[in-house]
Amino acid sequence: MIITQATAVVDCGNLGVRYGRLQALEQVSFSVEPGQVYALLGRNGSGKTSLIRCLLGHQKPQTGRVDLFGQKVWSSRRALMQRVGVVSEEPDAPPLMTPRQLLKFCASLYPHWDETGSDERLRRFRVPLETPFGKLSRGQKAQLSLTLALGPGPELLVLDDPTLGLDAVARREVYDELLCELAERGTTVLIATHDLAGIEGIADRVGILQGGRLLVDASLEELKARYHKVSWAPFPGLQASDLAPYGPLRIRAGGLGGEAVLSRGDPRELLGAAGPDLRVQALPLEELFVTLVGSESEVAP
Amino acid sequence: MSTLAVFRREWIGRRNTFLLALGLGCIYLVMISTDSGTQTPRDKATLILLGTSLLLPWAVAALFGATMVGRELEERRFGFLLNQPIRLGEIFFGKVAAGLAMAMAFGLLACLPSFLLGGLWRQLPLLEAGRLLGVGLAGCLVLLLLFHAVSIQLRSRSLWLVLDLAAWTAFGWGIRALTMKLISAGAFDGMLRLWLLLLVVVALGLGLAGYLAVAEGRADLQRGHRWVSATLAISLGVALLLGWAQSAWVLGHLPARPGIHAGTARVR
Repeated sequence: MIITQATAVVDCGNLGVRYGRLQALEQVSFSVEPGQVYALLGRNGSGKTSLIRCLLGHQKPQTGRVDLFGQKVWSSRRALMQRVGVVSEEPDAPPLMTPRQLLKFCASLYPHWDETGSDERLRRFRVPLETPFGKLSRGQKAQLSLTLALGPGPELLVLDDPTLGLDAVARREVYDELLCELAERGTTVLIATHDLAGIEGIADRVGILQGGRLLVDASLEELKARYHKVSWAPFPGLQASDLAPYGPLRIRAGGLGGEAVLSRGDPRELLGAAGPDLRVQALPLEELFVTLVGSESEVAP
Repeated sequence: MSTLAVFRREWIGRRNTFLLALGLGCIYLVMISTDSGTQTPRDKATLILLGTSLLLPWAVAALFGATMVGRELEERRFGFLLNQPIRLGEIFFGKVAAGLAMAMAFGLLACLPSFLLGGLWRQLPLLEAGRLLGVGLAGCLVLLLLFHAVSIQLRSRSLWLVLDLAAWTAFGWGIRALTMKLISAGAFDGMLRLWLLLLVVVALGLGLAGYLAVAEGRADLQRGHRWVSATLAISLGVALLLGWAQSAWVLGHLPARPGIHAGTARVR
């Protein structure tokens, strides 16, 4: 089968959302192909939640379009939600309902529901079945939300900061479950998160939002190939101007050496000029994110 | 099917309400059985039934309407339903049905002990009971829809509130003018029919506005408010227009009164 634009699981074009005078999203366009894990990154207030609300048909964008599986999400929300599992940023199930009641409620709404898998997951997560949702810990709420989202065997999983406020163990359990799902079913995943270290091993493609605009939309491989971090011991040979052809995004230099983030070319070429004290490495996602959207993003002389 | 699921979810989510109703029922029972000198248990039960059988369900319906969607939107919990494959109409009607049933059940639970033990069930004819139930249900529906709409309007904190206030003020003035006109002509039946007509049209408008707040507003409180305001403004306008037409018809078909005849004769 030829994969075209129409077969993209998620397809946004020129999306624009405005709240009064505040432009929350501006001309955002991206797509997520089947089986891909798309990480949506951005600082607080960058527009991630607005984008996800538009994606799920909760909110109508002022401009642009949002399609899921080739269908308009605003007009076909109900049909599309049979194929989509959602974990919200804030656990939003009714506080008085117990996990058992929530499972029963959700199971009654879908044509297929993996009852055994859901029970097994909750047992693994050690979520008590008879405790009201409002009294569960934050980690248990997230785990229950993930269980409910995976119950119908969704083709697309939309996760809005699912590890927000979770301890390291609960965070690891959520990612393990996600990896398991990806390995077993190849589900397409769109995940908005601040947990850059956690998502780095899972994501295929990354989108970075800043001020409502999509600053970066590229595969993780492309980003790793494009952005490098170089660090060097103090020596007189390397000047800031030597780095100019490599698109420096940030240079920090001092008496003990320095480091720079470069966005162009292959900085290993510098090894010849700078000698063995120069280290070139792929940029970790977190550092790339901070460099691109952080306030310290500057080129120092 | 999904409407039923939403209905059940609302009941489970607010089950504590029934404990409150049972508690009230027990308080009434104690009141009936306590000796207070002049009043018999039946008198007391009658008083309780008259005083609370309508007020309690109406209060519960108003509270339910004020929280059924507005509070979930404000607390960002409405997404839970929107993320499920449920039609927006099923969400709205499931919630409305749950609210109505809950309000009526609350009233029944609270009043039933005193109604049965006070011996009133022997006195109240079936037709009267049915009429009471009908009035109670209709009142619950109107109040639930009204408070749902008002809750959306207030919680969104947008400038559209000015339009809402203007529309309701104009509507109030319109009703007053039409009512005064009918009263001065002595058309009291026509006045009652006018109010009934206005109530029906406004109730329909509230229902439509409430549905559109969910269907078009979804998780966007401001957008929901705009739909509620626009729909209500139109509905109030239509209600006034129909009310004006009905009043004109009533006034045009009034039996001739002596004073008017005399005046007419003098002109001729």
